[in-house]
Amino acid sequence: MEDLKANDKRSYIDNLIDFFRKRSIWMLHYCTGCGAVELPPSMTSRWDIERFGIVPMATPRQADVLLVTGYVSLKTLKRIIKIYEQMPEPKWVLAFGSCTVNGGIYWDSYNTITNLAEYIPVDITVSGCMPRPEAVIDALQTLMEMIQSGEGGAYKKYKENYEYYKKNQDRVLRKTAPILGSSETESIYQEKEGNYET
Amino acid sequence: MKLDKESIIELLNQKGVEVLDLYPNQISVNIKKDNLLNHLVFLRSIGFDHLSFINAVDFIDEGEFELVYHVWSYTHKIHVLNKVRISRNNPVIPTIVNLWEQAQFYEQEIHEFFGIIFEGNKDLSPLFLENWVDIPPLRKDFDTKEFSVRLFGAEIRR
Amino acid sequence: MIAAIRVFGYSLFAIFIGLLFMGIGRKIIARIQLRLGPPFYQAFLDVGKLFARKSITHNFVMDLGMIMSLAGLLSTMLFVPVAGHMAIKTSSNLILIIYLMAIGHLGMAMAAAASGNPNATIGVSRALTMMLGYEIPFFTVMLGLIIFNGTSSLELIAQSQAGGILNWNMVKFPLGFLAAEIALQAIMGEKPFDAMVAPAEIASGPMVELGGKYLGLAFLTHAVSIFVETGIMVNLFMGGASNVFTFVLKQFEIYLITILIEAVFPRFRIEQAVKFLWTVPMSIAVVQLAIILL
Ligand code: SF4
Repeated sequence: MEDLKANDKRSYIDNLIDFFRKRSIWMLHYCTGCGAVELPPSMTSRWDIERFGIVPMATPRQADVLLVTGYVSLKTLKRIIKIYEQMPEPKWVLAFGSCTVNGGIYWDSYNTITNLAEYIPVDITVSGCMPRPEAVIDALQTLMEMIQSGEGGAYKKYKENYEYYKKNQDRVLRKTAPILGSSETESIYQEKEGNYET
Repeated sequence: MKLDKESIIELLNQKGVEVLDLYPNQISVNIKKDNLLNHLVFLRSIGFDHLSFINAVDFIDEGEFELVYHVWSYTHKIHVLNKVRISRNNPVIPTIVNLWEQAQFYEQEIHEFFGIIFEGNKDLSPLFLENWVDIPPLRKDFDTKEFSVRLFGAEIRR
Repeated sequence: MIAAIRVFGYSLFAIFIGLLFMGIGRKIIARIQLRLGPPFYQAFLDVGKLFARKSITHNFVMDLGMIMSLAGLLSTMLFVPVAGHMAIKTSSNLILIIYLMAIGHLGMAMAAAASGNPNATIGVSRALTMMLGYEIPFFTVMLGLIIFNGTSSLELIAQSQAGGILNWNMVKFPLGFLAAEIALQAIMGEKPFDAMVAPAEIASGPMVELGGKYLGLAFLTHAVSIFVETGIMVNLFMGGASNVFTFVLKQFEIYLITILIEAVFPRFRIEQAVKFLWTVPMSIAVVQLAIILL
């Protein structure tokens, strides 16, 4: 992918807008997997991410950053893509834990994807299984820095490389042919149950 | 009337099924596929009114599936595992939806994950998987690792 | 021309004060919950960001509805005397003010209905039900004050309380103040009467489909509504003010009470809220009315 470094001359207005964006990140957490439990502590008294202006929002229309907190199964992926496409720009994606990078401990499961970045553009991945609230705050602060310096533009990638993402999404979501080929039992199975594919 | 475990084993032995005594409140029964419905009806008639679960096990080396019907009685406080073996090449078994309604979901699930066909069940549509066209995923001959590598591009690093 | 500039200036002032109050309110709530909380100017940052975002509209009715709700509240603001000053010289008639305030809600209802989201529809129906709940006790209190003063002009009522704290209606009619304060909690849509937004249940109700600039407009509307509602309370019960600074300070006192209640209460269900509003503040207001009449 091309380098997303913003061009050097950024006008005063751009800087101001980026300052606003950076100081008021509204997040939408799509609570898949184990990661959701780390968000209440980071939002409440102990870690309190509201001091950076980060608050949870109820709907994708209002949110700036989508948190994908953990492994993503195929059904979930469908919803995540829908949510991501509903969010107005600019938008960012934060992926939590090793499950969203290489599958984590679910890497050989038949129903969880291994790399989220193949299906939607991910800005930051947080390491850990599960990342502690400190790591979450660190990631959000990195995101703030990226926004200020004009780097955080993965959503532009989504528009530019839409075919690539769409192809990947379709490959896993709309399977029409068996991946492993059909075995003997498979053929019996499909003969007996003609309407299975509907 | 509460029956204790011994008298239940006695009753079942009279019916001519082999019974295994497992734990203080658990017995296991091996039955034939043809005998399944009769046996479950009999169990229900003596007070085993709750079907907890149905599960399937894939014995790939023996070429058989084993279906386990977990039945529990609130009066006798006894848990009975009814084990049925069916051939892997022709995985067909009569449905028990008419006996216990909740079996509908268990049967749908087993059909989805093992490809076992429940004769007489009208709705065997998929519950969990979407657009699944492969071998049912919980069969032993389904290689999840290979599948994950091919579909999701999982990497194997050493 | 002068009038237009004055109206514009007043609007900016109201929005500024409202946003400032929102930010300070969030800070106070955070401190009550043992958090550090956002900076007091957070609301400005939020609005700045929202107006810099792309926004998605569903149809022009939604646009009009949002603008109507902001315009309704801004025009209400014109009739509320701020420390004796008003944007344009009119009679600040209480009944007119209350009538105009409903326009804001109706605009919001229009926008929400146009967005076609079921959650928004539920939220709006709850907001209008809530309106039914709080207007009756609030009107009853106001009726008492109007009868007592023999006028429905907000300015005259404020002037009649001049000269020391003992002349304030808040001290003269404590029961009425209490009832109005409870109703105000519902008017401002704060907990325990925030069933219409309820982010966890109906995904922030009327705002569910609003993003970007539309949400920014909703923020401004909320800011103006804070200004207007606290302004009415200051004029009715705290004797107006001699200069703008005192006026804003008094407004902030009213807002502070609301925020303190908001910070510690859970949420009523909608029918519980209406039932509560029709029993407790209503009976207090009726008692107050009886005291004034006798
Ligand atoms: S990375 Fe670990 S904690 Fe996160 S979803 Fe995967 S298994 Fe759960």
